[in-house]
Amino acid sequence: MDFGFTTAAYVVSAVLFILSLGGLSGQESAKRAVWYGIVGMGLAVFATIIGPGSGLWLLSVVLIAAGGYIGYQVAQKVQMTEMPQLVAAMHSLVGLAAVFVGFIAHIELNRVMGMDAETRKALDGFAGLLAKKEGVEISILRVELFLGIFIGAVTFTGSVIAYGKLAGKVNTTAEKLPGGHMLNAGAAAISVLCLFWYCNTGGFLPLAIMTLAALFIGYHLIMGIGGADMPVVVSMLNSYSGWAAAAIGFSLGNDLLIVVGALVGSSGAILSYIMCKAMNRSFISVILGGFGGTTGPAMEIEGEMVATDVNTVAAQLEDADSVVIIPGYGMAVAQAQQSVSELVRRLRDKGKNVRFAIHPVAGRLPGHMNVLLAEAKVPYDIVLEMDEINDDFPETDVAIVIGSNDIVNPAAQEDPNSPIAGMPVLECWKAKSVIVSKRGQGTGYSGIENPLFFKENTRMLYGDAKASLDQLLQSIN
Amino acid sequence: MRIGTPKEIFPGENRVAMTPASALQLQKLGYECVIEKGAGAAARFSDQEYKDAGVKVVATAAALYKEADVVAKVRPPEDVEIKRLKEGQTLISFFYPAQNTELMEAANKKGAHVIAMDMVPRISRAQKMDALSSMANIAGYRAVMEAGNNFGRFFTGQITAAGKVPPAKVLVVGAGVAGLAAIGAATSLGAVVYAFDVRPEVAEQIESMGAEFVYLDFEEEQTDGAETGGYAAPSSPEFREKQLAKFRELAPEMDIVITTALIPGRDAPKLWLADMVELQKPGSVVVDLAAERGGNCDLTVADEKVMSDNDVTIIGYTDLPSRMAAQSSTLYATNIRHMMTDLTPKKDGKLKHDMKDDVIRGATATHKGKITFPPPPPKVAAIAAQPKETVKEPTREELIAAEKEAFKKETRNQVTLLAIGGGLILLAGLYAPASFMQHFIVFVLSVFIGFQVIWNVSHSLHTPLMAVTNAISSIIILGALMQIGSGSFLVIILAALSVFMAGINIFGGFLVTRRMLAMFQKS
Repeated sequence: MDFGFTTAAYVVSAVLFILSLGGLSGQESAKRAVWYGIVGMGLAVFATIIGPGSGLWLLSVVLIAAGGYIGYQVAQKVQMTEMPQLVAAMHSLVGLAAVFVGFIAHIELNRVMGMDAETRKALDGFAGLLAKKEGVEISILRVELFLGIFIGAVTFTGSVIAYGKLAGKVNTTAEKLPGGHMLNAGAAAISVLCLFWYCNTGGFLPLAIMTLAALFIGYHLIMGIGGADMPVVVSMLNSYSGWAAAAIGFSLGNDLLIVVGALVGSSGAILSYIMCKAMNRSFISVILGGFGGTTGPAMEIEGEMVATDVNTVAAQLEDADSVVIIPGYGMAVAQAQQSVSELVRRLRDKGKNVRFAIHPVAGRLPGHMNVLLAEAKVPYDIVLEMDEINDDFPETDVAIVIGSNDIVNPAAQEDPNSPIAGMPVLECWKAKSVIVSKRGQGTGYSGIENPLFFKENTRMLYGDAKASLDQLLQSIN
Repeated sequence: MRIGTPKEIFPGENRVAMTPASALQLQKLGYECVIEKGAGAAARFSDQEYKDAGVKVVATAAALYKEADVVAKVRPPEDVEIKRLKEGQTLISFFYPAQNTELMEAANKKGAHVIAMDMVPRISRAQKMDALSSMANIAGYRAVMEAGNNFGRFFTGQITAAGKVPPAKVLVVGAGVAGLAAIGAATSLGAVVYAFDVRPEVAEQIESMGAEFVYLDFEEEQTDGAETGGYAAPSSPEFREKQLAKFRELAPEMDIVITTALIPGRDAPKLWLADMVELQKPGSVVVDLAAERGGNCDLTVADEKVMSDNDVTIIGYTDLPSRMAAQSSTLYATNIRHMMTDLTPKKDGKLKHDMKDDVIRGATATHKGKITFPPPPPKVAAIAAQPKETVKEPTREELIAAEKEAFKKETRNQVTLLAIGGGLILLAGLYAPASFMQHFIVFVLSVFIGFQVIWNVSHSLHTPLMAVTNAISSIIILGALMQIGSGSFLVIILAALSVFMAGINIFGGFLVTRRMLAMFQKS
């Protein structure tokens, strides 16, 4: 097979990948789209194995099969609530692979550079590709693989830390080493110095120092970001893994890698942008960690939190015609989605209009709540976005807030001094009555009081969300 | 400490201040409960039910007053009950301290602390113990029931085989709690309801209950209801004339009139005069909820049902809540229970009479041998929300101008970005070799396509999007596959590892995406 066939296969794969991402615009077309992605990937791998430059294809196939088996096991066993961890873990693999591929390119480059002109001509495959380069091209190649390794390394440690935080293995609060962002800036400066060093000498040492610095940046950057900002972090890492692939694609001169890397990179960037917008914070402030200080004294909250019990809530739900449920990370933690789904089923059987309101940053992953509800067999056409449902709250009889806090905080609209002022929120307090299922009286991630809990039409249902809902189910049948 | 409830001795009073349900809640606060034998009988709560709820039943009122540290009852105490009070005992009941000055002094002399349920300030926090409102709610409902009982026709309009029935027309004067409850009950029975109130800000509440607000064409500086604690203030003579003229206009049509107009500290205003009753059709009904304070209607006789010369029934019962004793006892007992909750902040069964608390201070008439009535005005004043300053609606021209401005700005931004981006690329093209630029074109176009495509991805599919992009970013496997065949052992090891990891990712990513997408189901 010659080079032409491989390129043709790459073109087809690239089109399939684009269709695969485009298909995610709707639930039904998405089911088809994932097949486009699988076929595209299969074609790309097949074409590369039989194409020029690769060898040891048996080993490759065996390794892919072994990796595939593990991937299959993981995909079958993973709980839907563990999706954020899984996605983060997978990013780390891409990051590490990018680092390795970058190193190989470096080793090969040096090997090829060391040969004389005669032997160079005899080379084929990747080494052959390298052999044709000279002068500026080599410098550019070095920059590209340097970038690929840098982004890959940041992605790798960043994802590992994100995984740890999401899986609860690392403390989820924002922590920084003494020196804070100066350390990051220092590490970045070292990397830039190494870039010049490497371009001039081509030695392994600057590359190794840069890799260590990048690994540190990834670690320290993500350690400094707290739990609820994770949606931004995960999509940011998603983006990085794409840019790493694109950078490697440049250094290998492989267009498909560039195309896919760019697609993934822009996808992650857009997701990060959407998440930041939903929190009314700039990307920089999320990455630098923590909430900004208040600009003045917070508004005083009048009233008191009024507790309620399961029977009262059951009676309220019996009387209600329209119910809106607002799930948050607390629902995922309590694994309450099945109970919520059962509650919704029973209420819908009684002819009540039950819907879900999903805030873009609910949960720890973009779209996290949607997946959990889908897992619990909640039909997706009653799961609505913030913009779709916000105007309906005044006509809603009961709004149930399950394990969310900041995304339903009226202070964002009412108190210009609040740290979250201006963040778009679900206006559930406009409903006739609001029930908040919550473990205790504490504040949310942002650490600010939520005046919603003190409103006249709000009742607090304290306790674990799943336990409360299971009790509630006994009273509703 | 012990909470005791005696049997009400006022003739015809059926209510009781403690129910078995409220007793259970009081015990949770750490109190012991005592009740006089037969106290709940008139409200259909038997002594046995109380015993089952853990309440001690004592035979006589005297014994009860002796045992209890807190006495909770409904009506203001009679002289004989005052005599039974002892030093340091707390009495919680309706008291009307403004009208019952002597009673208050007598109680004070006995050294009892009196908490008047009728003096609970009307602030949001105290709504749960606002017994006046809960009783007024019942009175409003019952007023409609009494009216229906004496009215010879349906409330709702019907078209039947036997002919057409027009709906009853109901006028509610005064839209306080009782008025609103009456509106609610009457509309749900199908009547056409009109309502009037001197406070224009309640029009919205009236309309929300399904009644039509009767507007007066009158210009006057209205005092805001919030300033007078949510109650109506007396109106000017001119206003009154206009109002009466409107009523005269309505009177011939109205089948049922329910009047609830009260002004704090005054006799009830006369609003439904004798000539209006004369204008009404025979068989019409007037229910006067202000009968206790002299009545809104000229012909009202307190506690009685009278017939006018033209066969209009005028009902002046003053015991409407007591006529629904089971319901009103339940609500009143809950009000009392909430009051006790506030009086027992630690839930340890010890009463803490905190005179710094606005609600408790407001309701206290005598405390520690001092008469504390009238209370200072409550610190939290807002009841009806102050009308918000209306945001000025931008005119059409302004809107168009703003739109144009936004469009111009957007164009400027876009052009600037394109210029900078284009400039940078051109600059790169000047220095970079052609082979790099070939790949660079592919890169830029892909980023562009990526942005266009991803914006259309629906929010609910963001998690599958991440999983799928994850899977396809394992395209890095191509790099490893290209390299694995060439070079040294170290290269092979590194490449093999990369292939392996990417393999995990490809399969894991795609399969988990497929699994997720399969879960999304339409209802």
